[in-house]
Amino acid sequence: MQGSTRRMGVMTDVHRRFLQLLMTHGVLEEWDVKRLQRHCYKVHDRNATVDKLEDFINNINSVLESLYIEIKRGVTEDDGRPIYALVNLATTSISKMATDFAENELDLFRKALELIIDSETGFASSTNILNLVDQLKGKKMRKKEAEQVLQKFVQNKWLIEKEGEFTLHGRAILEMEQYIRETYPDAVKICNICHSLLIQGQSCETCGIRMHLPCVAKYFQSNAEPRCPHCNDYWPHEIPEVFDPEKERESGISKSNKKSLRSRQH
Amino acid sequence: MPAAGMPPLPQSPPEIPPQGPPKISPQGPPQSPPQSPLNSCSSPLLWTRLDEESSSEEEEDTATWQALPESESLPRYALDEKVAELVQFLLLRYQTKEPVPKAEMLTTVIKKYNDYFPMIFGKAHELIELIFGIALTEMDPDNHSYFFEDLLGLTYEGSLMDDQGMPQNCLLILILSMISIKGSCVPEEVLCEVLSAIGVCAGREHFIYGNPRKLLIIDWVQRKYLEYREVPNNAPPRYEFLWGPRAHSEASKRKVLEFLAKYHRLGDLDNTHVFSHISGR
Repeated sequence: MQGSTRRMGVMTDVHRRFLQLLMTHGVLEEWDVKRLQRHCYKVHDRNATVDKLEDFINNINSVLESLYIEIKRGVTEDDGRPIYALVNLATTSISKMATDFAENELDLFRKALELIIDSETGFASSTNILNLVDQLKGKKMRKKEAEQVLQKFVQNKWLIEKEGEFTLHGRAILEMEQYIRETYPDAVKICNICHSLLIQGQSCETCGIRMHLPCVAKYFQSNAEPRCPHCNDYWPHEIPEVFDPEKERESGISKSNKKSLRSRQH
Repeated sequence: MPAAGMPPLPQSPPEIPPQGPPKISPQGPPQSPPQSPLNSCSSPLLWTRLDEESSSEEEEDTATWQALPESESLPRYALDEKVAELVQFLLLRYQTKEPVPKAEMLTTVIKKYNDYFPMIFGKAHELIELIFGIALTEMDPDNHSYFFEDLLGLTYEGSLMDDQGMPQNCLLILILSMISIKGSCVPEEVLCEVLSAIGVCAGREHFIYGNPRKLLIIDWVQRKYLEYREVPNNAPPRYEFLWGPRAHSEASKRKVLEFLAKYHRLGDLDNTHVFSHISGR
């Protein structure tokens, strides 16, 4: 164990329950994370004041550091919702999926991942993925089977499906960004604003730089004449709105109803 | 169980005899190897506290593997890494709710560090308990398999006062009591209706329970709290829930119904709706 006991946080049953539940869910949106935190306090330490979420998580992360694990915060690429997942820092493979999937299924995921990264839009069509079924390692898989495996990826929040095309779920990006950047250093796209991995986003038609939709929203917020930060050319795409959790809760929009801004604007 | 204000993780290693790396003891960890003075204790938490007492005599040092002379041949960081790897592996297996055979740990994670298994496993096991509140208990000495247990002590009473939603075992108790009231089994459709009445819907993800269908039909059935069986001679097939063997051994019909009565009095549930559903049929 790295000797960081000096700055290590204090773990109580509140934190332990929180970790257990977050781990079980795989990934959670910020609103649910806050409810989860309050629930853990209620159950295990009802008289304590609920820590600010950021401090609460930093506290836990200081303890997890020696295990090369951390609670990571990210943002969904399509509508900028904050999400949290417990991720492994040291591993650089898709090992978390390894317990749920067979060798040929993992290879199918790898093939889909490659197509997604190579694509212009960040989406790979079902047809193109299924056409690679013959190249999979391990037991032979038929296309029908592969279709079901793809659905399993969606259910387990590794992929998102929209109109027959697949892209990476926010969870996959959180967990695998390091692996992806190391494995596909040439094909990988990076956001000009936040410098993180970019799968879906908008790009400048003149100089080709790319930005995440939430990054675009923040960068061009209340800017009447949006211009490319790199070449200064007029930014031709629709500027999305910055995600506002308060607004969302008030209008009671459920996640399933909300029409996400799907980026086809490369 | 230590309350809030838990002391930081112990810095000293488990007691290891100086004659060399411990042999893999037949009982396997969580007890430390037979030669150690900690032989008599079976509780890992006790082991931790004993550890802390002995650490005050040692030099205040943050290195974990200090006391083991043989570790000179094995870099400290390598063992630390193995512990982290084993923890990650065990956390993944925890989510499948199935027991983990020792053999699998050896082949998947430990590999060439076989001799150090008790040490690595001991540390990993301790960390998982301290950080995640999950215990690894050996199933039986011949089996060399470990199953996961939740240490966070949600007692019947402890879970009653929660008004934002019920913790998992509270939901389980509710289901068990429903089955008891109906006799010995309850049809799946009836159960779903009652759960919907308290906001736990089959299709939708719940912020505590996750996927309720998975929780009932897979998790709790695997852990033997519930039994899920097909009602014969039905097309399309219909299913019912019964008490599982573990529920029979860990709970009793009387205790479960007592809990229900308590809940009813406290008015934490929308009880009229729930109980009319149960008793009315």
